[in-house]
Amino acid sequence: MTPSRTVRLYRRVLWLYPRSFRDEYGDDMAQLLAEQLREEGAWRIWCRLAVDLVLTVPARRLEAHMTRPSSSAVTVLYGLVALVGLLVLLVGGTSIAAVAVGGVVTIVAGSLAFVSARRSRTLTRGSVTAHWWKFLVGGVVALVGLVVVTTITGELPEGGWFLAMLVLLASLASIVTGLLLGLVRLGTGRLAAS
Amino acid sequence: MVLALLGGELHGYAVMTRVAELSDGSVRMGPGTLYGTLNRLVDDGLIEETTDRVARDDNERRRYYQLTGAGREVAVAEVVRLQKLVHRVVEHLPGGALA
Repeated sequence: MTPSRTVRLYRRVLWLYPRSFRDEYGDDMAQLLAEQLREEGAWRIWCRLAVDLVLTVPARRLEAHMTRPSSSAVTVLYGLVALVGLLVLLVGGTSIAAVAVGGVVTIVAGSLAFVSARRSRTLTRGSVTAHWWKFLVGGVVALVGLVVVTTITGELPEGGWFLAMLVLLASLASIVTGLLLGLVRLGTGRLAAS
Repeated sequence: MVLALLGGELHGYAVMTRVAELSDGSVRMGPGTLYGTLNRLVDDGLIEETTDRVARDDNERRRYYQLTGAGREVAVAEVVRLQKLVHRVVEHLPGGALA
């Protein structure tokens, strides 16, 4: 293979790297390869390139992922997973397994939501977090409604209790979601101001 | 790589060959390793791209790198540390061990 074809092929291989890295250093890397080809045999260079690619592509990909600003969707997703963990924890009762799993999921997902919220810098007024108060008010209204209905109707039939439990969980989920989104909005607002 | 730049500014390929020279050929970096490390050193403030490339008579597309003040301090400290290490090892060797 001629040096120019080798460089052309290498330019295609460079697509394995993250775009930001490729844009910044792609031309320099291809030029460096062309210079290496003037002094060394192609097969030796390809052997070294193979090792270089195996070692550096995952590293550059990971770096790019870690430095990319988190989106509000990721924060909300982690928040919802934490919420599910909290619900498992609450409805788990005396089951140690449910409490353990719920606790771990809540702590891990909650921490990830917090980290994601701190990294998020691109939230706008129209983002999901702008609707935090709707989740909060909706949850409180549903909870108050449930209390009023159960007080008025007194003893509920078996199916009624199941429905009441679902409404209770949904209202709690809505309240916690609202609080999480509010916290995210508060955190990102401070970040943007600083 | 920081030690390779102690002698002055170099472009990527020259950094690579200098590192190979300093390591007696045992360290031969590929392009991904070289530019990934240069990128990190720039981010850490240890090296910087030089801005006077336009005046050069060689390939103007090349990027040159040089040590920053902090980078020079780190490089000099590393040289001193290595010198002390070698000195200490030689001091504690039995006579004629290096012969």
